[in-house]
Amino acid sequence: MDHDINDQFEQLVLPHLDAGFNLARWLTGNDSDAHDVTQDACLRALKFFSGFRGGNVRAWFLTIVRHTTWTWLRRERGHREEMEFDEELHGGEDFSTNPEMVLMRKADIEAVRQAIETLPPEFREVLILRELEDCTYKEIAGIAGIPVGTVMSRLSRARRQLQTALATHPHPGSHP
Amino acid sequence: MNCQQVQALIHAHHDGELDAANTLQVDQHLTDCPQCFGLARNLGTLRVLLRDDALRFRAPAESRRKIQATLADTMRAGRDATRGPLAWWHIGLAAVALIAVFFAFQFWPSRSDERLLAELTSSHVRSLMAAHLTDVASGDQHTVKPWFEGKLDFAPTVKDLRESGFPLLGGRLDYLAARPVAALVYSRQKHLINLFVWPAARPGPDTTPHAAERNGYHLIQWSSQGLTYWAVSDLNEKELMDFARVLSGA
Repeated sequence: MDHDINDQFEQLVLPHLDAGFNLARWLTGNDSDAHDVTQDACLRALKFFSGFRGGNVRAWFLTIVRHTTWTWLRRERGHREEMEFDEELHGGEDFSTNPEMVLMRKADIEAVRQAIETLPPEFREVLILRELEDCTYKEIAGIAGIPVGTVMSRLSRARRQLQTALATHPHPGSHP
Repeated sequence: MNCQQVQALIHAHHDGELDAANTLQVDQHLTDCPQCFGLARNLGTLRVLLRDDALRFRAPAESRRKIQATLADTMRAGRDATRGPLAWWHIGLAAVALIAVFFAFQFWPSRSDERLLAELTSSHVRSLMAAHLTDVASGDQHTVKPWFEGKLDFAPTVKDLRESGFPLLGGRLDYLAARPVAALVYSRQKHLINLFVWPAARPGPDTTPHAAERNGYHLIQWSSQGLTYWAVSDLNEKELMDFARVLSGA
């Protein structure tokens, strides 16, 4: 019985270890903290796994990773509660300008990485879940514990910030 | 749909989150409106950039290994803890496990033992290379033993084993397992034996010699009267064991 649960955990949850690590890594900013957080999240997941009633394992696991990461961010970095996050401070929709995006060369990926890192973590996690983990709005809403509408607005603002950052970034290697 | 309505939906459209009817209307608008088409194209460009594999972190192999090991430990611990209410046989089982662990630690090298084996071996090798084999060169145990006085917080037993074919060459101070230790040097024909001696971390019963091997060197350990002994040499295991038996009296 216990063997079965452990086997199931290994078969169902561990394949999503990279997805969990990716999220933790983008939020903590370094390998060592991402490791600690991911390991902690895995232990929590194992503890709660018997209560997992089937469904989307990846979203379930990412929810735990995200929660663990935010607990860590608040404790270690003193990051304020994300529910108090003031979206308006971080800029509303502005369609008056539409910076032209250009495809960058591979070498400019570092500029993309830096642009993502400068996003507020509330935007960053939504963007990572959508673009890198290919989660649906509904999954992201569940993982981050926010309404779907907030997912949409954070996502659009995150993208706009990235576009602005990358369009103004000097990229001699790009073609028009 | 006008531009404002389309721009409110353009991210959802881009992410495939719109129903069929709205998708169709946005599609229609994009073919007619260059400005909104430009927004949609920028979203597409950004996606191509973001889907670059170089942006996706993967758990490093070492991290994955550690996590799996930690999980395995927890699973093992959990199996014993979740088997219903505590019964007497649990306590019995735990006691047996504790005794097994105790004996396992006595006879099997643990990770810290691994480190110690490495330290012992390199200390042995260093003593041969650095022309610093002995601080006190003497085959006389009554010269070597007093030399350690005041240099160590214990008195190592020093025996000359010339009659058994292991003449004492001398002794020196060494530093192992995070403490100063006595190193006694013996020879067997062309081979040298370093015998490291220090007080056991925890008092325990005397143990008989058992052998380990590292990088082609043989190591034999035993305990006697609260002292830990490690003999290290390139001598073959059988003869090194003879040496250990003679010394330990086993």
